[in-house]
Amino acid sequence: MTNHSSANSDSNGTNIHNQDLGWYFLELARLGASRATHLEDTEEQLPSELNTINSSGGFQLVSTDKLSVKYTSVNRHGHDVGVVQANNPAPVKRLVYYFEIFVKDAGAKGQIAIGFTIGTFKMRRQPGWEANSCGYHGDDGMLYCGQGKGETFGPTYTANDIVGAGINYASQEFFFTKNGAVVGAVYKDVKGPLFPTIAVHSPNEEVQVNFGQKPFAFDVKDFEKQERMKQQATIEKISLPPNVSYGIVRSYLLFYGYEDTLNSFDVASKTTVPPVYMAQENGFNEQDIVYALNQRKTLRKLIKSGEIDSALGKLHDWYPQIVQDDKSATCFLLHCQKFIELVRVGALEEAVKYGRIELAKFFGLTGFEDLVQDCVALLAYEQPQESSVGYLLEESQREVVADTVNAMILSTNPNLKDSHACLQSCLERLLRQLTACCLERRSLNGDQGEAFHLHRELDISKN
Amino acid sequence: MSLFWIVIRQLAEIEAMATSKKVITKEEWEKKLNDVKIMKEDMNKLVMNFLVTEGYVDAAEKFRMESGTEHIDLATITDRMAVKKAVQCGNVEDAIEKVNDLNPEILDTNPQLFFHLQQQRLIELIRNGKVEEALEFAQEELAPRGEENQSFLEELERTVSLLAFEDVSNCPVGELLDISQRLKTASEVNAAILTSQSHEKDPKLPSLLKMLIWAQNQLDEKAAYPHINDLSTATLEDPAI
Repeated sequence: MTNHSSANSDSNGTNIHNQDLGWYFLELARLGASRATHLEDTEEQLPSELNTINSSGGFQLVSTDKLSVKYTSVNRHGHDVGVVQANNPAPVKRLVYYFEIFVKDAGAKGQIAIGFTIGTFKMRRQPGWEANSCGYHGDDGMLYCGQGKGETFGPTYTANDIVGAGINYASQEFFFTKNGAVVGAVYKDVKGPLFPTIAVHSPNEEVQVNFGQKPFAFDVKDFEKQERMKQQATIEKISLPPNVSYGIVRSYLLFYGYEDTLNSFDVASKTTVPPVYMAQENGFNEQDIVYALNQRKTLRKLIKSGEIDSALGKLHDWYPQIVQDDKSATCFLLHCQKFIELVRVGALEEAVKYGRIELAKFFGLTGFEDLVQDCVALLAYEQPQESSVGYLLEESQREVVADTVNAMILSTNPNLKDSHACLQSCLERLLRQLTACCLERRSLNGDQGEAFHLHRELDISKN
Repeated sequence: MSLFWIVIRQLAEIEAMATSKKVITKEEWEKKLNDVKIMKEDMNKLVMNFLVTEGYVDAAEKFRMESGTEHIDLATITDRMAVKKAVQCGNVEDAIEKVNDLNPEILDTNPQLFFHLQQQRLIELIRNGKVEEALEFAQEELAPRGEENQSFLEELERTVSLLAFEDVSNCPVGELLDISQRLKTASEVNAAILTSQSHEKDPKLPSLLKMLIWAQNQLDEKAAYPHINDLSTATLEDPAI
């Protein structure tokens, strides 16, 4: 990221340092704009119906709704199986994928199969009879995993049975169910996109498939829950150093300047938890943090209540070096927020005036223009909060500005060892590491399995 | 980059090749870290969750004011404490009312708990010498429950037998009048409320910290990358050789 040195005529190290720090928050300031999308994993196409295009021949008939298949011919050998795959491969970015079939008619010989196959599967063979496929066969209850010879697996199945096949990405297994109960599982060593596959082979066999459009006979949600709990149980066994959570929470409160909370917290913990001595915290020592604490708290309060002018005033009094350069990211964010506050109360004329004086100079400046354009766009709407730039009117926006000012004040500490320590609290660094590790692991695992999303973790706990 | 670091990097790569692990440098890793989006709101929720579940009720209230983070369950902690206290003081009717205000399903789905609360009510009536009221209460409210359940019936009979003795402090069922009986019932109610709010029982933060340790161990099998070894400082350390 280029350093905007246009206004840095006094090239003392601290000023350039501060400039870099402020820029960090510029990106955060626009986070609200894309919030809706940044959480979701890129949507995978789900199997929703049977694929009629890569059909194998005239011995099967797929219904018009593409959810059932019937063997209409007479089977003569092992290479005229009526195999059908789903239109899309099983999605991988989740814990479990599952689908079911209902055997409407077992026909002459009940040679029905359910399983998974790769895209290039020979569409005349039962799933499991060829490499890179797996199938649970109804006539003999055996499991075929890429060889002509099957292994004993479970019960046979016939008309009126509901049979399911799934992939458990956590344990890397294929699993099968019959009438709502798990029959068994087998290690999945087939790689690559896997298509849900069903097959019929003797005259009049008919099978209906359910890709989730209707409720399943097997409780997949509960199965997933059990899997998650298994993983959770392993994790819970890990031991933590004593009081580490307490220390992290305390350092969070200190870092962001939540003075009142911190005091209440300290008072309460004197009676419960032994106080943890936080000497070397984020490169500061206790004395310095306590000193800046009250001012940071005051500024946060002012910004969170939208009193930007007061905040600017206090900054001029206490930390003039932060607001000295009017083209710094910090000043920019404060001016934007002032503009937003004027729009919020409907003082549009004043907002326009303010914008002309304070914001106009940022148009066309890399890094600033996106946000300034969004701010100005607020003026175009009667109901700006409903618009695409409505995110600017949310509390979270004030929060970003408050956090920026907080970081800038922390950075003025002469005893500061590492300026980047002002940007992220200990808790944030831990959460980033957790997310990055999970994502990297999943990526190295062929992108299979669930990723870690703090937001989702917190939501689940609220249910 | 000094020669020292070049050598370190090469050693790491050799080690990784020997075990076919992907090597991720500190710069690459920091980029991945920066790409992660963590919302301040979520961190605030996490901290609030810690304050509330660990019982720092005042701090939680201050945090709500200072950060604007809502916590719907703040009231329920105070409520739960109120229920517990009511039972401990013998105000069982009050406690039952409060529990139902909190969540009517708790007593509906917990017949044993409900019976024990009613039993406690009976004990209090007997303790206060309200013999007629006690008998009426026993016959109307507790006897029907006793019919449904053998162990309830036995408990009911034990409790009613208190009335048969002049000197209750020395009788075989005297322990029912003891404060410990109240505390037992209070504990039962407390646990039931906590279970009904099962997400509140333990704070999320320690689980996430454990998950971090676990995730790093898991990733170790496939890659060499910077770790965080000290949770309280969260400093990134170079890939171990």
